[in-house]
Amino acid sequence: MLTSFFKRGAVAAVALTGLTTAAFAQMELKIMAPAAPGGGWDGTARSMQQALTAAGIAKSVQVTNVTGAGGTIGLAQLIGAKGDGHQLMVNGFVMVGAILLNKSPVNLSQTTPIARLTAEALVIVVPTDSPIKNAKDLAERVKADPAKVTWAGGSAGGADHILAALFAEAAGGDPKKINYIPFSGGGEALAAMLGGRVTAGISGYGEFEGQIKAGKLRVIGVSATKRLDNAPDAPTLKEGGVNLELLNWRSVVAPPGLSDAQKKDLSGAVEKLVKSKEWAEILKARGWDDAYLGAAEFDSFLKTETARVSKVMTDVGLVK
Amino acid sequence: MDTLLSLANGFSVALEPSKLLFCLIGVFLGTAVGVLPGIGPALTVALLLPVTFKLDPAGSLIMFAGIYYGGMYGGSTTAILLNAPGESASLATALEGSKMAKAGRGGPALATAAIGSFVAGLIATIGLAFLAPWLVEIAVKFGPWDYFALMIVAFVTVSATFGDSPLRGLTSLFLGMMLGLVGIDKLTGQARLTFGVPELLNGVEVTTLAVGLFAVGEALYVASKRWREPEEIIPIKGSLWMTKEDWKRSWAPWLRGTAFGFPIGALPAGGAEVPTFLSYSTEKKLCKYPEEFGKGAIEGVAGPEAANNASAAGTLVPLLTLGLPTSATAAIMLAGFQQYGLNPGPLLFAEKPDLVWGLIASLFIANVMLVVLNLPLIGLWVRLLAIPQPWLYAGILVFATMGTLAVNPSPVELGMLFGFGYLGYLMRRFDYPVAPMVVGLILGPMAEAQLRRALQISLGDPMILLENPISATLLGIAFIALVAPFVMSGLNKFKAAED
Amino acid sequence: MSRTIDRPALIVGFLLLAVAAIVAFDASRQTITSNYGVGPTAMPYVVCAGMVLLGLAHLFVAFRDGLPKPEAADGRALLWIVGGLVGLIACIALGGGFIIATAILFSCTARGFGRDALLVDIAIGLVLGTAIYLLFLKLLTLSLPTGPLEALLS
Repeated sequence: MLTSFFKRGAVAAVALTGLTTAAFAQMELKIMAPAAPGGGWDGTARSMQQALTAAGIAKSVQVTNVTGAGGTIGLAQLIGAKGDGHQLMVNGFVMVGAILLNKSPVNLSQTTPIARLTAEALVIVVPTDSPIKNAKDLAERVKADPAKVTWAGGSAGGADHILAALFAEAAGGDPKKINYIPFSGGGEALAAMLGGRVTAGISGYGEFEGQIKAGKLRVIGVSATKRLDNAPDAPTLKEGGVNLELLNWRSVVAPPGLSDAQKKDLSGAVEKLVKSKEWAEILKARGWDDAYLGAAEFDSFLKTETARVSKVMTDVGLVK
Repeated sequence: MDTLLSLANGFSVALEPSKLLFCLIGVFLGTAVGVLPGIGPALTVALLLPVTFKLDPAGSLIMFAGIYYGGMYGGSTTAILLNAPGESASLATALEGSKMAKAGRGGPALATAAIGSFVAGLIATIGLAFLAPWLVEIAVKFGPWDYFALMIVAFVTVSATFGDSPLRGLTSLFLGMMLGLVGIDKLTGQARLTFGVPELLNGVEVTTLAVGLFAVGEALYVASKRWREPEEIIPIKGSLWMTKEDWKRSWAPWLRGTAFGFPIGALPAGGAEVPTFLSYSTEKKLCKYPEEFGKGAIEGVAGPEAANNASAAGTLVPLLTLGLPTSATAAIMLAGFQQYGLNPGPLLFAEKPDLVWGLIASLFIANVMLVVLNLPLIGLWVRLLAIPQPWLYAGILVFATMGTLAVNPSPVELGMLFGFGYLGYLMRRFDYPVAPMVVGLILGPMAEAQLRRALQISLGDPMILLENPISATLLGIAFIALVAPFVMSGLNKFKAAED
Repeated sequence: MSRTIDRPALIVGFLLLAVAAIVAFDASRQTITSNYGVGPTAMPYVVCAGMVLLGLAHLFVAFRDGLPKPEAADGRALLWIVGGLVGLIACIALGGGFIIATAILFSCTARGFGRDALLVDIAIGLVLGTAIYLLFLKLLTLSLPTGPLEALLS
């Protein structure tokens, strides 16, 4: 407690002496990826590191990995680092579900939201030779007999699973009865699709793109508000008559108990990052869509998203 | 003819000096990092991805391919010399390899691993070049029921070969399967056997168990009987190189290992572990000197190592032809492709033939480089064993903990590593085999997930396992493998009675 | 046939039964089941049944030949190595960092294997740890657990 008080005092003193901007370029940041090296969150953290240093926004950036339990172990550690104005953590939509699923004692409302960075729309596909032609066909089948519609996607309680449940609900079916089969990794789910083992598949658009373009998979709908820039032919679910939107977003949060000056420093740094040309290059190379929301907007977005996910997970029976 | 022409074209890309350099760097890094337990090729490629951002696509992909092959190879070195299998695929290699190394036959063990990897890599890469489109058609036809049947075959054949006491072997296997239950259930997302400890939600890492049981357990065991019967480690006895006899005993296992590794590796959920287990048990069955198994039989190194490398090439079949990443490394390589706006899949061969065939050609080159790089190093590696015993084992323990410390340095994970180490020590004392436990941990969860997926698709009808030709055949094989030993011994008794 | 009961086999038998009971208890408390096919409790019950059989078999064996008789162990050697391992965990948990932790493990293990030069081995461990730490940081950009010594290096 005392140390955090002193730390806060020190940062405040720096801010007061009007050195904020100068101190800023000297900023030493730590970004935690609450997953093993090599995963999606780790990729985001390391890309941030790359862009923050290349653009001269921070003097040094250190990436640390805290693995386990859908990121909730990292989250607990972040919340423990109360008042540390140099610490950021990458997180995303998946963590919202993981917190509920793992009955985590900590949650995202205990953190200081900094910004939403990127978002990826999900896509529902069927094999090309499937009799299901569009979202309406699929919705009718789900409504008629949810057991017969098998869904292939990522881990239980993840974005793919939640989309399947939301789809069933929007179609007027019982989300509790969906026959969702989690596969480990996109590759296996994709193989199950191509082999015609399952009715429909859900994943990020990028994962299915090659097969869609090759004509092996048909898009039933993307979960975005409007058609994707890189796939103008793919209809949205809304166009198909299923009123549904879902984005798999990634964001950064900071520890709780930050002073206003610390918050401003961190969100300022991230804002500069998002506007840098280095970041734009990385987004383009990695195929990520910019979905920047500043601290205040992200805060309220996080609240509504958490409420929505927890309702869906209860509906599906994942959380009791 | 088309394929040959494209391949020749590929070689013209891959043989450019700059590409050769990338390949060499990749092979070197891959070997160096593959040696570290717990840090496999996937992690290396992931960490190097940002570095290669500025390189040209062909160059960096060729480098990744080098890292991949190098990493597969590096894993065998530590498995043989230090009995610390750095990844689940080198488990089978460690069984016989470490015994050979301690008996002064580390040189031939490393050599047969290197040359076996080379042969397997070569054949499998040829398979990749010529059979990929055809093989992949079959591969995607594999449903969850077929995978389940394949796991059962692996279970049956493997458990028939471990140890001389079925009771102790099965106990070890079931303990492993029990550990496989720990963590989040893949199909429902709820926690099993975690007792509210969040660190356990991710389950028990295979490398943590393997390194704990093998390396740490062995160190404790050797130390505990140091006074009574000090262990003798002979760095080199006889030839450093493979003898004529070694060659004679190695070539067939290499080929059989490749025959297991390549097709199973090409399956979207095949993996590298199952073929190495199948190869190990096949070699034990076919070996002319079965009494040598468990004491350092060269076949037990040659076969699994070949299977391991062939499966690495197999993984590239679905990656290049369908864009299906079927292993962690392949997933990262896919990210590498996408970083340049390339999407592997049916279109890539048509759109970027230079790149694809350049990559395939550089796999051949990486293979040659690996063998050229590693054979002269064998003498050096083997001398590691000449380090005084206290330092050698102290070094092994430092090495064993390093991977865990780098990837997941939580006290719980470290505690598990040492807990398993102590368990490994106790199991050695009472003559329980430790390998079945790791096998149970690897195969148990895979078999469970595939069976449950199969039954979810069939809406609970178990007949799905017998209605599909592939799974029915595989289950038949498993049944025969299970029953055959009893029938045979029965027949022998019958004959003996007749005489 | 000896009339004595083999204690190790008896203990293993009871331990297996206890583990089986834990697995069954855990499975019985699962709240979420699959809608279709078999649920998350099927495999635990299979494992549990197997362990009960193996446990009973061990009890049976305890009254027959028992487990292979182990040789006497060198307790002091074991204690040194286990001490080194525990020291490493404690060092990491308390924020001592990778280099010191490595030095503890290295020197204790060497001691356990009969070397009598603890200070020299600590020095070797420190050098080894520093080299590995730098290698990981520079080559792989992976940071191993940091403590006071690591702070000096960066």
